[in-house]
Amino acid sequence: MSFLQPAMLWALPIIALPIVIHLINQRRYRTIEWAAMTFLLAATTMSRGYARIRQWLILAMRTLAIAGLIFAISRPLASGWLRLAAPGTVDTTIILLDTSPSMQQQGNRAGVTKLDAARTQLIQSLQLIHSNHWVVIDSATLQPVEIESPGVLDSLVPAQSNSTSADIPGMLQSAYEYLRDNRPSQTEIWICSDLRQNDWDAESARWKVLRDAFLEAPTPTRFHLLAYGDGAGGNRSIRLTSAETRETMSGRELLISFVVRQSESEKTTLPVRLELAGGISEIPVELTGKETELVDYAIPLEGDQLKRGWGRLTIPADGNVADNEFYFVFDEPPPRQTLIVSDNEDSVRSLKLAAEISPEINTQAAVTVLTPQQAETADWDQVALLLWQAELPDDSRRPLVQSVIDRGGRVIFFPPEGGRSGEFAGLSWGDWHEEPEGFQTVSWRQDQDVLANVRSGEALPVNELGIRRYRTIEGEQSRLATLDSGDALLSRAITSQRNIYFCGTRATDDHSTLARNGIVLYAVIQRALAEGAESLAAARQVVAGSVDGVQAERWQRLSSDETAVSTRYRFHAGAYEEDERLYAVNRSVEEDRPLIVDPERMAGLFQGLQFDRVDEQIGEDNALLREIWATFLFLMLLALIVEAALSIPRRRIAQAGVNPAFAREVPA
Amino acid sequence: MSISGPQRSFLDPQVLSRLSSIPLFSRRAMVGNVSGIHSSPHRGSSVEFAEYRKYVPGDDLRRLDWRAYGRSDRYYVKEFEADTNLRCCLILDTSGSMNFGSTGVTRLEYARRIAGSLAHIAIRQGDAVGLTCISDKLVRTIPPRRTPSHLRGIFDILEHAEAGGDTRLVERLHELAETIPQRAMVVLISDLFVPPAELREAFDHLRFRKHDVVVFHLLDPLELSFEFQRPMRFLDMEGGTSIFAEPNEIADRYQKALQAYLEEMKAVVLGSEVDYHRIRLDSDYEQVLQNFLAMRARTKGAR
Repeated sequence: MSFLQPAMLWALPIIALPIVIHLINQRRYRTIEWAAMTFLLAATTMSRGYARIRQWLILAMRTLAIAGLIFAISRPLASGWLRLAAPGTVDTTIILLDTSPSMQQQGNRAGVTKLDAARTQLIQSLQLIHSNHWVVIDSATLQPVEIESPGVLDSLVPAQSNSTSADIPGMLQSAYEYLRDNRPSQTEIWICSDLRQNDWDAESARWKVLRDAFLEAPTPTRFHLLAYGDGAGGNRSIRLTSAETRETMSGRELLISFVVRQSESEKTTLPVRLELAGGISEIPVELTGKETELVDYAIPLEGDQLKRGWGRLTIPADGNVADNEFYFVFDEPPPRQTLIVSDNEDSVRSLKLAAEISPEINTQAAVTVLTPQQAETADWDQVALLLWQAELPDDSRRPLVQSVIDRGGRVIFFPPEGGRSGEFAGLSWGDWHEEPEGFQTVSWRQDQDVLANVRSGEALPVNELGIRRYRTIEGEQSRLATLDSGDALLSRAITSQRNIYFCGTRATDDHSTLARNGIVLYAVIQRALAEGAESLAAARQVVAGSVDGVQAERWQRLSSDETAVSTRYRFHAGAYEEDERLYAVNRSVEEDRPLIVDPERMAGLFQGLQFDRVDEQIGEDNALLREIWATFLFLMLLALIVEAALSIPRRRIAQAGVNPAFAREVPA
Repeated sequence: MSISGPQRSFLDPQVLSRLSSIPLFSRRAMVGNVSGIHSSPHRGSSVEFAEYRKYVPGDDLRRLDWRAYGRSDRYYVKEFEADTNLRCCLILDTSGSMNFGSTGVTRLEYARRIAGSLAHIAIRQGDAVGLTCISDKLVRTIPPRRTPSHLRGIFDILEHAEAGGDTRLVERLHELAETIPQRAMVVLISDLFVPPAELREAFDHLRFRKHDVVVFHLLDPLELSFEFQRPMRFLDMEGGTSIFAEPNEIADRYQKALQAYLEEMKAVVLGSEVDYHRIRLDSDYEQVLQNFLAMRARTKGAR
């Protein structure tokens, strides 16, 4: 319980007043010489149990009455936040609002989403609390926004729902940075979330860093978690897995593949609505289990929409409207242009072959091999993959390489024979190491990046490679493959775009079996090429929130939520256009996995911090906080009534019937 | 008759003057040594006819009723009531508790007024008056005499009587019942703070000795009301332990105990045929005595 006027609680010692008065009264006794001791002794030796209890009860009731009055004027608040800080001392209140799609799931009350319920409860409750500063951090931008009062949450743009997954550690990091910069005296952080695992990233090492940072903060911070765990059941979601065009005998057609997931296995036919080029069609999908996938559903393209366009898949409304639609854009596949820069063309023949042979018939791949001196002559704007097997770019060529990197293309550096000088993206080449028997690869990242397992789940035969000669990679790096000598075979530079790789050996027989055992090399090159080509594609499927803000500034809306403002297009699902490029923004795939962080794990994240959690319960009053001074006033009145009832003098036994003047008791 | 000697604080001549118009009568026959206004158990020569009885040889012939003889031809002797004086024994309780008084007058002072006034009235009408002061023992005693000079001695004792010591009222009453000759008026002035059951035996003893027992039970208004505004420490006036109490808390139980005592006392005095008067110290003693004497006058004549 907390109080709006906690200063009044300083008056609490007054509750001892009745006891003090009682004690003073006891001390104010008078001494009298008394004759009728017989009756006095009889009176004092009679049963005193009730009298004593009554006396204590009266004292207790008086004390309770005063306590009730003091509590009432302190304006107590009732809530599940039993350990809420004294609101009068709060300097800054930071609200971390999870606006991810999962928060649009309907809560326990029909028609009200979790986000709506959270906003309403925050408005109703926090308005009772006095705070000098109010700050909102939304899960999309992670930017702290100062607001005048919690009452504006309903109309605040960052507090509106969007399609971006939340990053709770990131939000806390942002909150911490705000606190570090502004240094408020007493801070409370209110977190409203549905506890999705992908939002909380509970396994992340960032939590420990954050916890330590908050623990070491000069002023204490109190955390309140408003959890909206389980919502309404019966939810279905739709997700497009691919959309591509192809030429057929009858003309051009669009092939779409999508997955429909449902929370409960129900056998039914779901009408999936497809909106394409202004036309709407319906695709009946037979749902059999929890997940139904429709692969390569062909839609003939006619008219102007022959080459490129956008579309939207929707399913009927259910428990969560945010996952009922999925946007897509399509265009002709981009050319897969690879640029190989090497002093010796022979030494990169294997690389050229690996890049040249496209895995798909329709996809064209082109490879250009140039020496470093000729590099400037290449068409750098069309390069999807840059393979650099020469001394690291000097200042004259660095901007060219950087342009590929900035655009999203991929760069893989292979070791030159000499040239230890220079570095790129924090990495540089070290010494050569040789082993005629060959080094073996002992570990590699199989879960992601270019060495990840294939779709069937099988691992690439990286361990079968024999490395006879390699060069160490020096600098801060993310190792993707490690040799038994302890050095890295393949590493990724630690950059924001994660698209710069260093391979420690060459694809020649005197260096390694990369060329001879071409599976690994081919997979790495083609994967890098495919991802690099994505940056050149005119139609891109992006996850909400993943696009840089500067890049999204020029987006024009083709179709999206009408409430989305232009500066926040990148956070809202929709189809957008920038110059000749199309963008389809959708929620991340993790949003379709309703996994919740368990309470113990959650408590562990805030271990050592002042942390409270309240879960929204079915049928619970909407308000988190409620003034309950009336209850205390009622208790005070009740105590006073009881006290009065106890204090009423017991019916006095009629005094001895003595006639004031004379009483004759015995007739003569 | 005038009150000789120095002015007594407990005597008001005007009150005595007003009370002197009402004689003090006994409720039962008294045995005196001179003639007086009280009935005697013996036949005498008063003007009040008592009965006829047959003449027996030896009877005084002057007392033969010749008219009766003329009518009935039989000898009858006419007998008359005898009138005598009485012996009034005043018993004054001078135990420590008699020193209590919340109205400005102590119980002892009030007792002095009653005793002094009664002594004056009795002497004035020719009755003999004696005084005994008792506490845990017989403090002072003066036998009944009817001379006016004896009155001064009684007043002196009253004036110098002081309250103190424990109460052994019952023992002293038994003692006095034996020592006072039969058929006397015994006037007890006390607070009677003893168990009524024990007191009953003493009263019965006095009744057995054919005494006319009068009791003036003096109670202070504070003792009856027991109204205090603050916690009190009660010191026993007769040397017992002190008691600390919150009067408001125990008032009901005090009243209960007092009520039981008074009820029991009432039963005792009714059973012992004691002329019992419960008196508050804030009442006018003149009025008390006036009522007492008037009631006595109405019930005069029992033999």
